[in-house]
Amino acid sequence: MSLTRRHMLASTMGTVACALALLAPKHTRGADEAEDFLFRLTGRKATPSNRLHLVMPAEFSTGYTVPMSISVDSPMTEADHVKSVRVFAPKNPLVEVAQFHFVPGRSLPRVSTRVRLAAPQDVVALAEMSDGSLLMAKAWVAVASNGCL
Amino acid sequence: MTTPIPRVMVPGSVAKGEVFTVKAIIQHQMETGLRTDSAGKTIPRKIINQFVCRYGGLEVFRADLHEAVSANPFLEFNLRATESGRLEFAWREDGGAIYSLLHDIVVT
Repeated sequence: MSLTRRHMLASTMGTVACALALLAPKHTRGADEAEDFLFRLTGRKATPSNRLHLVMPAEFSTGYTVPMSISVDSPMTEADHVKSVRVFAPKNPLVEVAQFHFVPGRSLPRVSTRVRLAAPQDVVALAEMSDGSLLMAKAWVAVASNGCL
Repeated sequence: MTTPIPRVMVPGSVAKGEVFTVKAIIQHQMETGLRTDSAGKTIPRKIINQFVCRYGGLEVFRADLHEAVSANPFLEFNLRATESGRLEFAWREDGGAIYSLLHDIVVT
């Protein structure tokens, strides 16, 4: 097979189309998607916050045991503490992952565990503070295999 | 299925007011209820749905777990040493079975 100008053009177009198709979901994946998801689920508005830390690997080989660490910057006093943190995986067949409850003065708002993820997705954490406010954070995790089967 | 075996890692003694780490794990399949067997029948859900840690009789940490928690669920969390006393750990399985462990901690 000889390389003609037409052939080169066609293959280049194909590569560009593939690249665009791969990039497209990243562009539509805005900050609002996670916020909308939480609003639909809880009926309340959560504020994206850098006080809530959700640490997960950006890429992970298996969806069966993805490490997850959560921490919240909080003095944990009676007046100002974290009541609970809920975690959701919006692309899992069952979106709820876990809910962790903390006690002021006695526990620190930090927890680590391992979770299953069905597909690459933004994992969403939602912290409920003692004043009733909701904080949210998300972490993009690309898993290479479905961990939910 | 094998009997779930719970394990915890906690320091034996801690200075008063210090923060210490608790690592808790239980060997458990965490059957999600989403799988089917060779006959195409759904394997019923059987997971550890709750973990509770009590310190001196008071609940200090609780985790409600759903299907998306991995098999052999592992939890690492932090507590503040307030007084010498008993730490109780309880894992609740679907169907109501409870697996528990006790650990006495000395606060100096």
